Amino acid sequence: MPAPTSNGISRTPARTPRLRVSGRGLWITFLLVPPVVVMALFVIYPIFSALAYAFYDWQGLARGDFVGFANFEKVLFQQPFAATTWNAFKNNIFVFFALMIIQNGLGFILAYALWRDLPGARFHRIAVFLPVVLSTVIIGYVWKLFFHPIFGAVNQLLKAVGLGSLATPWLGDADTALNALIFVNAWAWVGFPTLVFLAGLQRIPSEILDAARMETDSELTLIRRVIWPLIAPSATVCFVLLFIGSFNWFELPYIMVGLDGSPYGNTDVLGLYFYRTAFGNQSAGIQDFGMGSALAVLMFLFIAVVATSWTIYLRKREIEV
Amino acid sequence: MAQLSLRGVRKNFRNVEVLRGIDLEIHDRELVVFVGPSGCGKSTLLRLIAGLDDISEGEFTLNGRSMVNVPPSKRDIAMVFQSYALYPHMNVYDNMAFGAKLMGLSKDEVQKRIDETAATLQLGPLLQRKPRELSGGQRQRVAIGRALVRKPAVFLLDEPLSNLDAALRSEVRLEIAKLHNDIGGTMIYVTHDQVEAMTLADRIVVLRDGMIEQVGTPRELYETPANAFVGTFIGSPRMSLLKAVRDGDRFGVAGSGAVLLPDAPETGKTVTLGIRPDALSLAPEGATDGFEAEFEYAEYLGNDAYIYARLGDGTRVSLQGDTKNLTHRPGDAVRLRPDPAEIHYFDSETGRSFRRP
Repeated sequence: MPAPTSNGISRTPARTPRLRVSGRGLWITFLLVPPVVVMALFVIYPIFSALAYAFYDWQGLARGDFVGFANFEKVLFQQPFAATTWNAFKNNIFVFFALMIIQNGLGFILAYALWRDLPGARFHRIAVFLPVVLSTVIIGYVWKLFFHPIFGAVNQLLKAVGLGSLATPWLGDADTALNALIFVNAWAWVGFPTLVFLAGLQRIPSEILDAARMETDSELTLIRRVIWPLIAPSATVCFVLLFIGSFNWFELPYIMVGLDGSPYGNTDVLGLYFYRTAFGNQSAGIQDFGMGSALAVLMFLFIAVVATSWTIYLRKREIEV
Repeated sequence: MAQLSLRGVRKNFRNVEVLRGIDLEIHDRELVVFVGPSGCGKSTLLRLIAGLDDISEGEFTLNGRSMVNVPPSKRDIAMVFQSYALYPHMNVYDNMAFGAKLMGLSKDEVQKRIDETAATLQLGPLLQRKPRELSGGQRQRVAIGRALVRKPAVFLLDEPLSNLDAALRSEVRLEIAKLHNDIGGTMIYVTHDQVEAMTLADRIVVLRDGMIEQVGTPRELYETPANAFVGTFIGSPRMSLLKAVRDGDRFGVAGSGAVLLPDAPETGKTVTLGIRPDALSLAPEGATDGFEAEFEYAEYLGNDAYIYARLGDGTRVSLQGDTKNLTHRPGDAVRLRPDPAEIHYFDSETGRSFRRP
């Protein structure tokens, strides 16, 4: 029973909002707890446990002694591990730059063409994005078939048009294997930068473009001096996500060339090497949780530090339109 | 030097005809204002002159040279946009230098022109700022400055004041008028605001539905509108249009009686009378002439006052008057006396003006 105040008015109405706030707080807590628990359990805990595992010696799944930075030292400087690490790292860097040019470059060009409403733009907008929604497993599997040396569509097509001399075991040849993977990745993902750049282009106020057209008739000047700076936010998203994706590259090479990065490590990347080391594979058989964790920690640190500082740098050149 | 000539200019967007045959000559150093209700095609016409859109049909020449297939940047025309359209990633200096540099001017020349322009428009302290750090009025001045730096033959201004508040608007309006006096370039100015049109223009082009209704000086448009549309569009409050039936010199309005209007021009039996607020007055009480009407309300504006009344056929009319000694209440019967010399006669069908002989 609410106590009447001196002027005889019940105090209940004043109390109701406080009740409602706590009700709302409960509701928010109810919504927040499950994702926080999931994040903590499956993201934060593994990161920190990997960090911890990396400092121990492991016998199979049994944790041994604390060994300090020994695991890091092994994967970075001790042969034969170091050679594999640096080879994989070098391949990751190559993949990143190649995709930066092919995937993001083509993405920008496609976005520009779609934005200019060239004939068929509506069809191409969907067509370009379609592979993005396909599962990487399917893409990898289908392209692996396409690249089959004898029955694959690629070589069959080359022979059919009289370019049989170019036919090659694409995924088995050291010169072409990594490039073939990069091509498939770009084919599958080019729709993403296209869409992000297109969104950026569509955000540019038309009067600014008109104003620029009053001052220059060179499309290149227009792109370089006006359009590109104005879609900086899109570029930030595409660049940083591609960087993270390139150094976490795993599914596509795993499905198309297997865990060993065949042939002869030509397609080996850090993701594959980490997996082989931590969980072992059929051919090598050995498994070292400590070294695997050290690799994972190094990859995480490298990606986090570079992605963060690059984002900060790229953000600086962004301008609110 | 800039002499613009438009002949039979048409513009279609897919199946919609936005401009339906525009013939217009614009002379050197003239400030011409395109005015009309929204959707009349005035901004489209400006964009055709700028080269931002292509002409569907007809001819446009600048100083005798056809502008078909000449890109906007090569027309020697600069444009100030409604939203100012400053480059958000460049500071004020670079915004003004961008076009000038692309014209191939030397660095010193660009610097000199920007210094001059900045002095004229008081932009000196703002040169290093980005557009988002400027107020609306300052952005407007930068947009004008960007056009000035290029020293173009023709300036196009697309509703440049519509994003400013009322006080700033009249201030910038004065600045534009002064600027036109000082630099003497040819200016084409688009607005839907007839006050801007009246105060700035050497000549006004009134557009409606993609056609030119009338071209003339502000005075010509006000005093001798070619049709009822121009009559009502120019002047505030609007000219009242009365549907009248003529019987000799007597003009009757349904439900309001008739008035005697000697020396009216030749008209048909039915005619539309155009009466501006200053051509109508309240008859003193007890008078028996004038139109019978019902007093509605009065508007006191300080230096001016307007009285609104309703005629017998439901037409609302406005008149300029003294509200100081007004004792009428809404619903009171009043009599309105038109000034015969100031009345406009329009064809009821076509809206065309009947001129006095």
